[in-house]
This record gives sequence, C-alpha cells and structure tokens, in this order.
Amino acid sequence: MLKKALMVSAALGMGLGFAQQKVEIEFWSWYLSPKFDNYLKDTIKDFEAKNPGITVKWFDKQDTMVQDLIASINLGKAPDVVNLNIPDTFSAAQNGFLTDISTLTPMSELKSQFWDNPLNNFTVNGKPYGYPWYGWLNEGVMVYNSDLVKKAGYTEKTLPKTNDQLLAFAKKVKDRTGQYGWIPNFIDAGGAPLFHGFFYADGLPIYDEKTGKAQFTSSKHVALLKKYVDMYKQGYFPEDMLRKEAFQLSMELYNQGKLASIVGGPQALTRIKDANKDLYGKTKVAEAPLGKSGRATGGGMDLVIPAASKHKKEAAQFAEFLSNNINQMKFAKIVAIVPTSKGAEKDPFFKQESNDPIIQASGMVGASGRFIDPGFNPPKNSSVLYKNLVDNLEAAFLGKKTPKQALDDAAAFWNANVNK
Amino acid sequence: MQNKTRTALIAYAFLAPALILLAVFTFYPVIYGSYLGFTEYKAANFAAGEAPRFIGLQNFINLFQDELFLKGLWNSVKYIAIVPALQIAALAIAVAVNRKLPFMSFFRAAYYIPVITSIATAAVMWDWIFQKEGTLNWVLMGLNFINEKTAFGWLNNEHTAIWALMLVTFWRGFGYYMVLYMGGLQAVPEEVEEAAYLDGATPFQTFWLVIVPMMRPTLLLCSLLSTFAAIRVLDEVVALTPGGGPLNSTYTALMYVYQKAFDGFNFDYGMASAAGLIIAVLGIGLSVVQFRLNKEDRA
Repeated sequence: MLKKALMVSAALGMGLGFAQQKVEIEFWSWYLSPKFDNYLKDTIKDFEAKNPGITVKWFDKQDTMVQDLIASINLGKAPDVVNLNIPDTFSAAQNGFLTDISTLTPMSELKSQFWDNPLNNFTVNGKPYGYPWYGWLNEGVMVYNSDLVKKAGYTEKTLPKTNDQLLAFAKKVKDRTGQYGWIPNFIDAGGAPLFHGFFYADGLPIYDEKTGKAQFTSSKHVALLKKYVDMYKQGYFPEDMLRKEAFQLSMELYNQGKLASIVGGPQALTRIKDANKDLYGKTKVAEAPLGKSGRATGGGMDLVIPAASKHKKEAAQFAEFLSNNINQMKFAKIVAIVPTSKGAEKDPFFKQESNDPIIQASGMVGASGRFIDPGFNPPKNSSVLYKNLVDNLEAAFLGKKTPKQALDDAAAFWNANVNK
Repeated sequence: MQNKTRTALIAYAFLAPALILLAVFTFYPVIYGSYLGFTEYKAANFAAGEAPRFIGLQNFINLFQDELFLKGLWNSVKYIAIVPALQIAALAIAVAVNRKLPFMSFFRAAYYIPVITSIATAAVMWDWIFQKEGTLNWVLMGLNFINEKTAFGWLNNEHTAIWALMLVTFWRGFGYYMVLYMGGLQAVPEEVEEAAYLDGATPFQTFWLVIVPMMRPTLLLCSLLSTFAAIRVLDEVVALTPGGGPLNSTYTALMYVYQKAFDGFNFDYGMASAAGLIIAVLGIGLSVVQFRLNKEDRA
C-alpha cells in the first residue's frame, strides 16, 4: 500500500515537473534590429506574459539569413519561427523545408485573422506556409520632388495616373530638367526580375500556374517591353537600372536631386527623411499610377515554421500572436508597413490628416492589406529561370536581341527548365 | 622505449593539434566536397534528409552544356590577365619603397590601406569612380579623351566591365604582394648588391640579373597566389556587378559555384561541388605550368 502511494505521488510529482517545464522557442527576424528592437522586445515580453509556459529567444538575421537557416537545420538546431519573404517562402516550401501551417492553426482561424490575398501569397500548391506578417504595395504611392516636377511643367492635378502617362512624364522631366523622371523596377536585391510586374499591371499573363509553362511571348508583351527598351536606348532611364537593385538606385538618385519621382511604398519617405531633410521638405506624395488592369502589385513578409522545428505548436502560437491585428497595427504606427490582418483597414491611424508625407502615404496605402498581390508567384526552380529571364531582358535593353527574340528565348528556356 | 621512437612520438604529439585541425577543416571538406561533385544532392534531397546519390560524371556533363557556367569559366580565365600587371606593379612599388628615404613608412602604409579596406567601402568608392557621371569620366573629359556624348558607365558596358573590375582587384591586391616582395628584397644580402656594383653593373642590371633571380621563390609564390586569387575572384564582382554584369560579362565561375551552393533554398550542392572541382583543377593546372616555367628558367 505504502509502495503504491509512493509511486502515485512520484508520478504526480514528475507530471507536475513536466507541466512546469518551460518551452523555449527560437525566433529569427530579418533586418529589423536595431531599428525595431523596442517594438520586438515589447511584443515578445507581452507574449511571454500571456503564455507563461513559453519563452522566446530572439535573433535578428541579416545578409546570411537563408544560409544560417540551412546550416542550423543541418546541425539539428532549427529555429522555430522565421521571418521570410514571398520568394524565399515559395522556394523553401517547394523544396520541403517548411511546415504547412494549416496543420497547426485551422484554416478557419487563419482566414479570420488575415485577408485572402496576403494568405494566398504564402500558399504553395494549395497549402499555406506562412503567417502573413506585414506587406507593401509596389504601386502604393508616387513620391515626388515638387521642385523638379514643377520645372517640368506638371501640377498636382496633372501628375500621371497610368503607366503610359508615367512614361510620358519620365520623358518630359528629362527633356525639360535634365534629370530622370522615373526609373522602372528591373531587378530586386536577390537578382530576381521585377519587370514582369509591368506585364501583370497591364493584365498580361506570366506563366500557367498548372503547367508552369511561360505565357509572356504574345505581341502585347513584346510591344510593352519595346516601349521600355526604346525609352532606355533614348537615355530616359539611367544605365545603372540594369545593374543595381531598383529601390537602391532610385533612393541614390532621388537623394542627390537627380530623380523626380519614385513609385513605391512609403518606406522610401523614411529613407529620404533620414538622408536629406531639405529634400524631404520638398517631397510630396500622390496616388501611384497604375497599368491597364488597374491592379497594384505588392509583396510581403511572413512568419514560417521550419519542418525541422521541435516546438511547432508553441511556434504557431507565437507566430499568430506576432501577426495579429493588434501587433501589426502597433508595428504600422512606427514604420510605414501595410498590415495584412483583418480589421487594420478600420484603424483611425490611417484616417488622420497631416501635411507630413509619411503620414499621408501611410494613410493612402496602410489600409490596403487586402489588395496585396505579387501578381506572379515564384515558379519551381525559380533562381535558374529568373537568372535567364533577367539575362534575356537585359539583352533586349542593350540592343543585343529584339524584344521578341528576348522573350521567345526566355520562354524556351523557361519551358525546358521549369519542372526540373 | 627507444630514443628514436620516443622522439618520433613527441614530434607527432606536437603536430597532432595542427593535423587534427587540418583534417577537420581542410582534408575532410576537400574529400567530401570532391565526392559531392559526383552526386545528386539538391535542396529537396537535403530537406528530406536523404543522402547524396552517386551519379558519376552527370554533373560535369551538365556543366559543360550550361552556357552560363562556360561563360563564367571563360571570364575566370580572362581574369588571369590581371596577374602579370599586379606582379610587375607590386614588385616595382616594393623596390621603390624599400629605400631608406624620408616618408617611406608613410608610402608603405598608404599602399597597404586598400588591402584592409572592407569590400563594402571599396565598392561604394569604385562605383562613384566608374559611373557615367563618375570621377573617371570626369578626368577623361578633362583630358579631352571623351565627351558627354561618348561617356558611359564603365561597369555598364559589356566590353569594359571586367577590366574595370580587374582594376579594383589590382588596387585591392598590390599592397599585399608589395609587402611580400619587400620581404623578399630584404632577404637579398647587401654584399651581393655591392659586389655587382663593384663589378660595374648598372642599377637595372643589378636588379634584373642579380636581385630578380635571387627572389625567384617569392616571385613564384606571389604569382601562384595571385593566379589562384584571380580564378576565384568573387567579392568585388558581386559587390559591383551583382547579377554578373552586362550580358554576364563579369560573371565568373566562382559566382556560379556561389549561386548553386548558397543562393536561397534552390541550392544544388552536387553541381556546386562539381563546378568547384573544375575550378580547382584549372588552378592546379596553371600552378603546374608556373612551376615548369620556373624550372625551365633556372635551367
């Protein structure tokens, strides 16, 4: 009897011990420290207070994020929650590195927390792989240098509303002021093509989602590419646009007073304010021009759970918490992101009146989370296909291939390599 | 235990730490990396925890059918053109600053600064220099070699981009080789030089017929090091022409390896290792040629 009682009490003690054992999860953000240390530390503290059984160990990763993640998986020490972007989430999910989050958070819950578009942006082969954390619109606002724009003969009312008008604007600004009017996005920081965004903006398809086959060789695609190539050859766009990342180049030239406008997210304004206060004083914002489809493209960051995570349940709890409407709105108030959570669009923060361009821009795009759509999700084998597409587009801009030849060659390569 | 055995054991005990480090960080990666070159080992295999699958020479066959890799390999070979210029300049500067004259310490330090400058800083500076409206074109316009209409960005032109990058490599590298050559020059006994002067040799004859032959080991070492560095150049190429330059004119073989091995979640360790092996074989082949030439010269 005594033996039995001892065994029961020992078992109870052990059970209590396990119940009290804290789970530590590891969270990796991407390029957010030191600027957003306070926000992240406070949010983590808040989460830990509400979930006493879980502690969060936070690391901010920068250049080597992806390599570090692969190495940590190899070492059996995978982090539990990781901040990725759309292209990386796609290639990670396509290659089996991530957890289908609908196995951790029911779809109904995901759908009630996030808008369909942002959720779809991280859905690969019908399965969601990331909690949408925050987003941006590529055609969110048009940031412009009011002095240069005035010199070119434009007023607030006559600013371009369509992409065709934007090309005419770029021409007029260069002819009248000697400075560039606008620079089209050609490549992103990872070397992936951005030019396809102009196809999408005009309602032209990129590739067949089912077969993976390229669909960018029609006469309309060729004509659109030719318009941009002609402008480049006539010197209306800087040579550097083929070599440097679009946002970086635009910021460099705008801050030197050599560029009249940037079409993009409000994040450009923060950089201008930090780099050149005088220029920020002359900077204004307007609605961004759109292509024939009237649709804006955008991108986003998410929180993924690696397949190798050892604490998936707790990781999901934290990812849900960090990306909920309250915490996304807190983030939106310190930096001009576009929240991806339902309810953000009603927040009074986006309705305030101000003369400050950042607040104006945040108001214009901040409540647009439900429209965020990259237009073109990365296909399988994307790095190989993208490199070839960029090479062919570059050959067209440099006059080594006709626009038609460049698109035909890229499509042939694409079709031969997409499912490898 | 015999004295001889004990001595050998003590010697090996001293060597052991270095041998263990070499085994872990050099020999094993080289052997395993070489093996991977003959396997299929892509991101999906890795994520699924599968072992590399032996596929013989398939990766090498694929590589020699891949235009991008071949272009990269050709550019890497082209990049070797920097070696003679770098060596001649480094040797000349070493001779110039290896004198007991005022301010020589300042010049030695100044020439070495590029070696320790971070690539990020160097890239910003050279980007300004090579831009269409950059310093280089400004100087050339001042000398009436070009005008506003004929000016172009040196890194945006398929014919000049790789040469512009070689100039950056030259700038970053010659201080390092200068220091090695200074070491070689200081090892030449002064009495040998004095004897040459007494025999009536001119300074040029003394340098060419006496000093240079005595510096053969340093010359061989520096040319081998700079040849390897040229074949595996990456930093300045990626920093200044991230996508491989106009029409891939600066895309090197090592960029291909880097992209296959580390660029995102679509990596392919098998192809990266195979490409790495080809570069290593090329480097070894060039070293053999340099050793041979050095031997023939001596004979």
